[in-house]
Amino acid sequence: MIEATDPVIVAKNLKKRYEDINAVNGISFEVRRGEIFGMLGPNGAGKTTTVEILEGMRDADSGEAYVNGINVKENPTAVKAIIGVQLQQNAFFDNLNLAEIVELYAQLYDSSVDPIEILSRVGLADRKGAMYKQLSGGQKQRLSIAVALVNDPVVLFLDEPTTGLDPQARRSLWALIQGIQKAGSTIVLTTHYMEEAEELCDRIAIVENGEIIALDTPDALIDQLLDSGFKPNKRTREATLDDVFLNLTGHELRD
Amino acid sequence: MKLYLALTVASMKMYFRNKQALFWALFFPLVIMLIFGVMDFDAYNSPNVGIVDRANNPASRGLIQALRGTDDQEVLSVATGTQEEMLDELEYGDNKAMIIIPEDFGISGQFSELQVTYDERYQQERAVIGTVLTQVTDAVFKQMAKVPDEYRVEANIGISESFIEGQGQGFQGWLIPGIAAMAIMQTGLFAVVFTLVRFKAQGVLRRLKATPIGASHFLAGQLTNKAIVVILQTYILVLVGSLVLGVSVGQGRLGAWVDLTILSLLGGALFIAIGLAISGWAKSEETAAPVANIISLPMMFLSGVFFPLSVMPDWVVSFAKFLPLTYLADGMRAITVEGAAITTLGSELVGLGIWIAISFVIATRLFKWE
Repeated sequence: MIEATDPVIVAKNLKKRYEDINAVNGISFEVRRGEIFGMLGPNGAGKTTTVEILEGMRDADSGEAYVNGINVKENPTAVKAIIGVQLQQNAFFDNLNLAEIVELYAQLYDSSVDPIEILSRVGLADRKGAMYKQLSGGQKQRLSIAVALVNDPVVLFLDEPTTGLDPQARRSLWALIQGIQKAGSTIVLTTHYMEEAEELCDRIAIVENGEIIALDTPDALIDQLLDSGFKPNKRTREATLDDVFLNLTGHELRD
Repeated sequence: MKLYLALTVASMKMYFRNKQALFWALFFPLVIMLIFGVMDFDAYNSPNVGIVDRANNPASRGLIQALRGTDDQEVLSVATGTQEEMLDELEYGDNKAMIIIPEDFGISGQFSELQVTYDERYQQERAVIGTVLTQVTDAVFKQMAKVPDEYRVEANIGISESFIEGQGQGFQGWLIPGIAAMAIMQTGLFAVVFTLVRFKAQGVLRRLKATPIGASHFLAGQLTNKAIVVILQTYILVLVGSLVLGVSVGQGRLGAWVDLTILSLLGGALFIAIGLAISGWAKSEETAAPVANIISLPMMFLSGVFFPLSVMPDWVVSFAKFLPLTYLADGMRAITVEGAAITTLGSELVGLGIWIAISFVIATRLFKWE
């Protein structure tokens, strides 16, 4: 029986090798129910491969992964049924409108959810008749989150959800992700943006060369660095350039 | 089942909203068919004649050569074959007469008689063929007897004439099923290749793999959609073609439509499998398009879509008759023009069956989702 206090994701010593690269080289971690768990790291560090193993999209060479108590390798279909997935490169059908795309995906999960309601959760209800290719970058990411929500997932995987978005779109997506967490979902996200991880994540894992080299809350990681005697080479100020930009251009979305 | 239906309906929506696909699947073949159909090729072509050469000796070959004329000056458009084949061509095809050269032709001192059967509907062609035949036999006989031209010789070659009423629908009747077969090839190859390769390159298929259903159900829906399109295409092309160009379908046999449906599905399966093989292998539209064209273009011209195989050199025919589209076009033609039942199509069904098997094996070997 799965208890509410049990971790929703357990990864034990995952390894995955592509030809001569150890993409994932013994990664272990747990994700707690209801948290936003961030995976950070440079390109090619092994974040996406790790996430894809958890999603049942790729088999690990060795190690074990469980999502909500289900062994991913043994039963990937059962895992796919209870998770929501936003891939790094998302694409949807050209000649279907947004409501039709969401409805089609709901049918794939045998879910009777109302497409319009899902679209309004991500702020796209007024674009329900639009085609995918007519959307802006931020709207495309919102749609792919909407599609990932059709089965009311236990865990939502977001792979670099805000890459390529302008600051307004990024902030509005952050609000959306926080809202989804409040509604009860666990979220695993990968990102290159430290301010994003700091803003959203309850805990983060820093991945380098296929290994987790640090795992804690953002605050604890910063404290550890300062305790080790680290001095920033730039004077920290009360505001950032991001704040300047948003103050000048406003917070509204420019879709 | 519910899911399969939903995916098929979604695939249909996507297809019918794609104006480009509709253009190539329906509008283009329809326009080609009507343009070629209203042209009167018979007006400047020499009449088509089928010859059954039972003698097969130097004299009979000389006669056939003389009837053919030279490359520069064609006298008659001659095809040779068995009596069964030539009668078939006369009755249902585009031939206007059948000439049987008897075994005893050309044996010196012996009287022999050429049996000529005309399609009585074409009196003008009959006059041309009759005149040519008289002149040529005369000349051939003189040459055989080594008689100088200036001497008038009583020919000991006779000509007997008989008539049948052909059922052929002329070039138009011949053209329509060929174009319908070509359209099936285009849909199978291009519609499948372009949608799947694009979905693959964009990551649509990958996103589907992240669902519990996987992409194979989606593929099934896509293929059903293409099969439905193939049938609609055949109906529209044959129906519009027969109404506009004044051709009867299947000699008025209603069952011909059922047979056309079955044959279209077989042809669809064949070319969809080839399309799957290409889209499984290709990573982008840039690599898929040339391959699809290399496969389809030669067939378009070598499989008897726009002109019969008989006008091509023998060495071309010797492999063109084994092409997938040839089997399909021949089968469609037998059903629409001759009114043949699908159960009577032997070699066409066997040929299609073998090609379907080969294509499916290749498609399953080559197909990759990413």
